[in-house]
Amino acid sequence: MNDNHPLSELDLSMTRRQLFGRTALGLGTASLAHLFQGSSSLIANEASKAGQDLNGGIHHKATAKRVIYLFMSGGPSHHDLWDYKPKLKEKYGKQLPSNIRDGQRVTGMTANQRQGFPIAPSKYKFTRQENNDRGVYVSELLPYTAKVAKELCVVHSTFTEAINHDPAITYIQTGSQVPGRPSLGAWLSYGLGTMNENLPSYVVMHARSRFPEQSLFNRLWGTGFMPSDHQGILLRSQGDPVLYLSNPKGVRSEDRREQLDLLKMINEGHHEKYQDPEVLARIKQHEMAYRMQTSVPELMNIKDEGPETFKLYGEEAKQPGTFAACCLNARRLAERGVRNIQIFHRGWDAHGNLPREHESQSKDVDRGSYALIQDLKNRGMLEDTLVIWGGEFGRTTYCQGGLSKQNYGRDHHPRCFSVWMAGGGVKPGITYGQTDDYAYNIAHPDGAPMFPQPNKENKWTPGTMHIHDLNATVLHLLGIDHRRLTYRYQGRDFRLTDIHGHVIQDLIL
Amino acid sequence: MKFTCVRHLSILVLGCIYISSSTLRAERPINFAQEVLPILSDRCFVCHGPDTKKKNLVRLDSYEEAIRDLGGYRAIDPKNLGESELIARIFSEDDPMPPKDAERQLTEYEKDLLKKWVAQGGKYARHWAYELPKKQTLPKIQGQKLQPIDAYVLEQLNKQKAGFAPEADRATLARRVAFVLTGLPPEPAQLEAFLKDNSDKAYSNLVEQLLASPRFGEHQARYWLDAIRYGDTHGLHLDNKRGIYPYRDWVIYALNNNLPLDQFIEWQLAGDLLPNPNLQQRVATGFVRMNPSTSEGGVIPAEFQAKNNFDRTENLGTVLLGMSLICARCHTHKYDPITQKEYYELLAFFNSTSERPLDGNSYTYGPVMKAPSRLQDWMELNNAEQHLEYLLTQAHKLAEGPKQQKILDEAKKRAQLKLHDFKLTQSVDGKAALPQADAFSQLKGLPGKVKQKLEPKGKALWLSFKVKAALKQSFTFTFSGSSKSEVIFSGIKLTQPLSSVPGNNHLQKVSLLVDKGEHEIQVKLVSDKKDVPLELSFKNPWSSLVNKKSWLALSKEEKLALLKEEYGPLAELKAHSSISGLQQKMKDIEGRFTTTLITTELKKPRVTKVLQRGEYHLPVGDVLEPNIPKLFGEFPKGQPRNRLGLARWLTSRENPLVSRVLVNRIWSRVYGEALVRTPEEFGLQGQHPTHPELLDWLAVELQDSKWNLKHMLRLMVHSKTFKQSSKFRTDVRDPENLLYSRGPSYRMDAEVLRDLALWGSELLEAEAGGEGVKPYQPGGMWSALSHPASNTKKYVRDKGKKLYKRSIYVYWKRTSPHPMMTLFDAPSRETSCVRRSRTNTPLQSLGLFNETQRIEMSRKFAERLVKSSKDNNERLNVLFKLVACRTPNDLERAGCNKLIEFMIKRYSNSKEEALALLKTGEVPRDEKLDPVEVAAWSQLVTTILASDVALLLY
Repeated sequence: MNDNHPLSELDLSMTRRQLFGRTALGLGTASLAHLFQGSSSLIANEASKAGQDLNGGIHHKATAKRVIYLFMSGGPSHHDLWDYKPKLKEKYGKQLPSNIRDGQRVTGMTANQRQGFPIAPSKYKFTRQENNDRGVYVSELLPYTAKVAKELCVVHSTFTEAINHDPAITYIQTGSQVPGRPSLGAWLSYGLGTMNENLPSYVVMHARSRFPEQSLFNRLWGTGFMPSDHQGILLRSQGDPVLYLSNPKGVRSEDRREQLDLLKMINEGHHEKYQDPEVLARIKQHEMAYRMQTSVPELMNIKDEGPETFKLYGEEAKQPGTFAACCLNARRLAERGVRNIQIFHRGWDAHGNLPREHESQSKDVDRGSYALIQDLKNRGMLEDTLVIWGGEFGRTTYCQGGLSKQNYGRDHHPRCFSVWMAGGGVKPGITYGQTDDYAYNIAHPDGAPMFPQPNKENKWTPGTMHIHDLNATVLHLLGIDHRRLTYRYQGRDFRLTDIHGHVIQDLIL
Repeated sequence: MKFTCVRHLSILVLGCIYISSSTLRAERPINFAQEVLPILSDRCFVCHGPDTKKKNLVRLDSYEEAIRDLGGYRAIDPKNLGESELIARIFSEDDPMPPKDAERQLTEYEKDLLKKWVAQGGKYARHWAYELPKKQTLPKIQGQKLQPIDAYVLEQLNKQKAGFAPEADRATLARRVAFVLTGLPPEPAQLEAFLKDNSDKAYSNLVEQLLASPRFGEHQARYWLDAIRYGDTHGLHLDNKRGIYPYRDWVIYALNNNLPLDQFIEWQLAGDLLPNPNLQQRVATGFVRMNPSTSEGGVIPAEFQAKNNFDRTENLGTVLLGMSLICARCHTHKYDPITQKEYYELLAFFNSTSERPLDGNSYTYGPVMKAPSRLQDWMELNNAEQHLEYLLTQAHKLAEGPKQQKILDEAKKRAQLKLHDFKLTQSVDGKAALPQADAFSQLKGLPGKVKQKLEPKGKALWLSFKVKAALKQSFTFTFSGSSKSEVIFSGIKLTQPLSSVPGNNHLQKVSLLVDKGEHEIQVKLVSDKKDVPLELSFKNPWSSLVNKKSWLALSKEEKLALLKEEYGPLAELKAHSSISGLQQKMKDIEGRFTTTLITTELKKPRVTKVLQRGEYHLPVGDVLEPNIPKLFGEFPKGQPRNRLGLARWLTSRENPLVSRVLVNRIWSRVYGEALVRTPEEFGLQGQHPTHPELLDWLAVELQDSKWNLKHMLRLMVHSKTFKQSSKFRTDVRDPENLLYSRGPSYRMDAEVLRDLALWGSELLEAEAGGEGVKPYQPGGMWSALSHPASNTKKYVRDKGKKLYKRSIYVYWKRTSPHPMMTLFDAPSRETSCVRRSRTNTPLQSLGLFNETQRIEMSRKFAERLVKSSKDNNERLNVLFKLVACRTPNDLERAGCNKLIEFMIKRYSNSKEEALALLKTGEVPRDEKLDPVEVAAWSQLVTTILASDVALLLY
């Protein structure tokens, strides 16, 4: 059967929507979509696989049932947080050698700066933390996170091509530098469906920052050309946690029950008359909304958390909107079966006064990130929960603006940056990839700068992690083959990773 | 759960394979374009298509390539079809094609189909959408005289042994057609009149009223704005405000006026390149400026020059050609015959517009021009212009008619009006009266400007001169001096205050009516400033006619100046006073003008080259001229190689796609789904039309009707196909309505749902157009995302009537549109959307029941009901008639009464809660009404407005 021929499908007695609608639990719509695009063998294959226990995955067994993505928007400085370069101290103020920069495209902000490219070594102390490998150096800015070093898989060799925020953040979240594509979260919602009928499958939070310097966009959790029901639902710290959740003044839950009963009766009458199956689908959504009016406040009510919770997350977690509070929410969401949780923390774009800004930013996120990992571990959930921490790019070795030993700024840097993952089937307590002495380029194990090149299979040099590879790996851990999770639009089967991306097997248990 | 649904699937799949193979059993000619090409495209072209680079690799995208000798074998061997390599490989066990690890495999059915196709000769044909549409002979259906739409639809239905569904009842039909055409229900009186009218004309009268409604354009424009990604902000990074809403208003205005769609497109794409473009044509070019733009610190202008161009080219592809061109940006298209070079040739049409690549985060990201700031002004301006045109035509007839010579003779006499005998006093006290005659001495150099300066600081000069006229006529002179100056005409002081020339309060303009003969004028020249030179000028409008000798040779301004003369040979037209009025009106409107982004052309176009991998810094190869892809033939001869030429080609009969693509989208607005179910893709990877001949017939009809949108809509809404009941049928299997075996049925768009409630509650504001409005929105939605430097960081909601304007006017911040829009599937407008998704989510339910404006609308709606009657049943009738065009059935009535009873009881026990509910939103409650009753009814209205009776088109 060929899918270009609409009339040849007449024999299907249900609409695709109905069909997909029935599978809201467990199996996502994506694997079913294959049925209408692929061959019969694929269908058979898919069907038999779905019969096995794939732990929520759709193409292979998932090691992660859910993902919590801590997104550091603006581009955290790998120099000052994760990528320890003690030798740089001696090079303070010296010009970055041109062979290191190697014609790198530089943003318009520092391309013509009069002082050139003076090296700004990090002012922060790094301490070696034991892990399950050679150990990992962590900056004094992240004292709490350092405590869970044994759980982290720190990738020093992440890279991207985009050098400005809007394109870069759109790229890492949607696989394309220009707007229009579904976000990572939307792909997961499309692929995996939901495990909780009373909560959305994809939840996004914005954590407070003192320096909310860069913009976010709906598109980062939007669906692009995909149906909009896969978009991220904002869990807000101001007003209703979910938009329009609470009843207006003068309306009680009992009133709503009565209203919904009438609504159901009228809709069923409409269905009886017109037999449109969509009507029944909508009745269900009204009921789910009603349940959410209970389940979301219950979710947000942290009074049931014991003192040990706040010992772990800190008192800050009691203030809605803090990063710690978002992390606690994330754990509560994860417990309730929400598979796909993202926290955006803005303010990492430190062009000047990096120490002042990064100290504040680190303080915002450090304890919450640590507590989340520790909490998940304590509850036995870390093994099937993938936690990711990272931004859209790194920052330059050289200083932007005034340089002193105590103060400096750094421009955007796409060539290397650090991202960590934990849990969900990722190897705990390892580091992956390294950078050169300047933390400017990804390096070979011997420290020589490496310029990643795609090979014949479009695979980047081993030891590196392009952002498409990161996304491919994330999907893999969730039981999805990034090459097979497709959505057809304008005649093309689109993927999160476009035509790129390879799973980094070295990171996986 | 998982298990059952999977099992269910396999049954379905087996079902369709079974049916498909049964259709193949009989040997029938294989239709290459419809059946084979899509398979080749989808499974083979990735490696064996237009982008095949290796010379020895077979290409399957043309017959010539497929039969090429590959060293003893051919993919298709025309001399020995059985030996064709293509067939051998697809059935090969050891070395199959597609390879075993390929993502897309052939089904057995498809292999079989390919085999049969090769056996039948393996002949190629062009993809259907690249052939020009033609009107075929209409299908003949026994005993029935059908309009073409119905003939084609019924032909398919008959093949399934089915006919049309019965017609929907009249009230439902009225509701349906009103929503389809205007996005609102029929007005109660309109509905009443329609239902009472049993004549044949009843329906077409209703349709004509709807087509003529100003609401028509507001509704139809939405689809276009989605497609061309209209937004009120720049869309990237800071996402600052952008001044372009006059363009949006123009679209509405143009659609209301039924501007032919070919011109609609031409003006938008190239209005600036038309000879002497008018305001509309220039404002329309805002279309080209609709791409999201940025000024992020650190971005490289050349990069965004390229990105903006990509965006425009690809938008053109989606919106007008129905083709995804994005592949060809980086490499030759994998499926459709478009090379990378051709992509850049098409892009070259846009690479010569004059705006900077970065927007400077500016509201007036130039080029901009001044344009009307509300729809009313577009209309009034147009009326004024038409009125002027009318007067000019009348004048033309007169001036070029039998009286021509007489007019010229009179003009000559009037042109002789002369000012002479200029005299001036010395400086005198400003308060002094007219000096004696001997205080004046002769002055040379007037009319004109002389060295003499005016006297400031309470002093004055007196000027005297004579005017000599051959006939009674008006004349106007201008002199330097403040408005405190005085004019004495024939010994009488003018009492009306002097009027300054705009922009210069030291130039006064005086108009006088003079009789035949000589008259004396004295002017007291007063000045507030030093160093103002003495000057006096006058213009005699008649001189232009005398000099140019013919009315035809005059400019428009010169003609209007003559028409404004109260006396003279043209006075019989009685135009003088209306022209002044019209010009004043136009001046007032212009005073309200705002800026809008437009397009202009650089004198020297930028250099366009292929960009390797689509990277802005990797231009390669020769300089490219603007051109259309070869697939469409030659660029039309005699047309300029610019956007205008492009627009003319797009809307010419030589273009196979544009009319099909447009008519397909028009169809989907009427019938709920498009004939080509992938309206964004007509290329090889798109779906075939459900009714190919019908699509072509409509496409040609659009051209034949001179691109008349209202004509096309009229045809569609008058079809039997449209009028069918939308009840799902059991006698024909058509769940997705591919056969159009029933009327449309779907959840209506976000805007329609809001407008319906505004309308029902009588809150809907009639004023059309204007700056985007900001209704209620939960706090913090913009600030949570926005850059601190963004001027859209803070959402300041509007007050008063702006809260109640139609939803098309809701402010569109592209990185965060209004949540009640996006919850119901409105796109972000960062990219083109020609088909909205229609989802059902719990968040929609929350929005319908809890959002501030929904509650506000419900309670005003409730007041309307409470005021309409004392009787509950009567109130329910009004409510249902408004939202569903019918009265409630017994079950519904009982249910509603039960809810009302419950609510009355509940609010009687807690009046404060009733009052709290009635405080939601800005409009005050009607204090004369019982709050308990209104609150109860408000709860009912909320429920009904959230029910499918209101949400759906049916």
